Amino acid sequence: MISFKKVTKQYNGDFIALDNINLEIKDGEFVSLVGPSGAGKSTLIKMLIREETPTSGQVILDDIDLAEVKNTEIPFLRRKIGAIFQDFKLLDSKTAFENVAFALEVSGVPAEEIKTDVMQVLGIVGLSGKGANFPRELSGGEKQRIAIARALIHRPKIILADEPTGNLDLVNSYEVVKLLWKINEIGTTVILATHDREIVNTVSKRVISMEHGKIVRDQTQDGKYII
Amino acid sequence: MSTNRSHEHAEQTTQSFERIFSSGWTNFKRSSFLSLGATGVMALTLLVFSGLLVLNFFTNETVSYLDAKVDVSVYFKNSAKEDQVLKVKNDLEGVATVAKVNYLSREQALADFKERHKDNQLIQDSIAELEENPLQASLNIKAKTTDGYKGIVDFLEQHNLRDSMEKINFYENQVAIDRIRGLSSNLVLWGLGGSLFLALVAIMVTFNTIRLTIYNKKQEIEIMRLVGASNWHIRGPFMVEGGIYGLFAALLALIIFYPAVYYASGKLAVVAPSLNLFGHFVGNLGWMLLALIGSGLALGVLSSFIAIRRHLKI
Ligand SMILES: Nc1ncnc2c1ncn2[C@@H]1O[C@H](COP(=O)(O)OP(=O)(O)O)[C@@H](O)[C@H]1O
Ligand SMILES: [Mg+2]
Repeated sequence: MISFKKVTKQYNGDFIALDNINLEIKDGEFVSLVGPSGAGKSTLIKMLIREETPTSGQVILDDIDLAEVKNTEIPFLRRKIGAIFQDFKLLDSKTAFENVAFALEVSGVPAEEIKTDVMQVLGIVGLSGKGANFPRELSGGEKQRIAIARALIHRPKIILADEPTGNLDLVNSYEVVKLLWKINEIGTTVILATHDREIVNTVSKRVISMEHGKIVRDQTQDGKYII
Repeated sequence: MSTNRSHEHAEQTTQSFERIFSSGWTNFKRSSFLSLGATGVMALTLLVFSGLLVLNFFTNETVSYLDAKVDVSVYFKNSAKEDQVLKVKNDLEGVATVAKVNYLSREQALADFKERHKDNQLIQDSIAELEENPLQASLNIKAKTTDGYKGIVDFLEQHNLRDSMEKINFYENQVAIDRIRGLSSNLVLWGLGGSLFLALVAIMVTFNTIRLTIYNKKQEIEIMRLVGASNWHIRGPFMVEGGIYGLFAALLALIIFYPAVYYASGKLAVVAPSLNLFGHFVGNLGWMLLALIGSGLALGVLSSFIAIRRHLKI
């Protein structure tokens, strides 16, 4: 369970990116976070992986106040939360397989374990055959699915997707969303930040609308993109 | 999918070390020219530091040479009886700062003298002519430390048998020793200042080299943080990179230092055959390796630690 309690974030001492956010997300929910560019969606997501900390208020994950997580514990927090982004964040010098394996290598997982785990997640995202390809040899949709495979590798409880379809055409966007859906169905909490109306309306689950750092609407069921 | 697997147990496997070291080695190779700069400056620092050790060697050798020459000799009048001399000897041996007292009787002194000049017929003949032994009985005193002599001379001056003593000879090498010590400690001070300055330059150059590597690996670092890489995996390769600079610098310094010392030792043997400079440093090879590699590693790792602290978010 995720909860934001009176969370405010100021950048540079005066600009308010998040303004008194109160929010609860239960385990296994699929939440679309919508709003125009600059509304504060990315900032909210960054708080969950401790990229940012609130100026005031608390972000609580499973009874843990994230502001109190020690530096040495941050990696373990990030292994509980998979994240994907508009720009994929893949290493060009590594193959698809190596990109996914990298996440395990730098977490100290033995080589024998890595191979089977990577093959398994590549299977989940439907790219078992593309392991040997470099990112430049993959379509945008495939790159994002590799990024999703990497996000899944630590078997996280939560998947954060920040504008994952921003660089994709409609067909590929739809593929990615279907995949997030599938991941949600096996029990993972999914938070999808987007300003893509079509996508949100297709998903039609809980929709939280943001504007100027505030939550302006929270439709708990059959949500549509309304601001 | 929602059961979180923990990899904590695997944090410190040998595979992790291998990954961190090979990543650090790659960093080192990729920044080829900059690595040369960092290694070079560090090697220079270590060489100046080694120069200090040479200076220290010379100081110790010279001082111990002069130390061995310092002593107090007291010569007794011919009227002094042997038991008076032995009484003074006995008293001296009771003084805490005295290490050793040697008694040279008149007869022994003469015998020694004859022995020393046995090839000189003229001297032998002159001695034979003399009715009385011209040589005096003497005590030769060694102090435990060089600063003890002053007190021993004073002790003799105030002794109640002072009247039976002819003269008290004190070779005041102390002044020379003090001067050498002073000069040497000045040089050491300058040398230390120089090494410290060079160490700072080396740290700055290495720091900048590593900062550049960090900058070049920005994307990789960002991804590592994202996927929950352990802090060790993020920072380790840069520490290793710094350590490699230090290690190579130490090896470079050793490769220059030993031949240089060998060469200097050869030149020196002509002037002062008793000084074995090269032998000294060969005998202490283990310590030199330890000192240079240790300081090299420390400099390198410290530099990357600073770079990491300032430029690498975890
Ligand atoms: N690191 C930062 N420093 C200063 N301002 C920032 C920073 N990150 C985001 N902002 C500002 O905060 C506001 C919200 O940004 P963001 O959370 O990225 O919005 P969204 O993801 O909804 O487009 C924006 O106006 C943005 O310019
Ligand atoms: Mg954003």
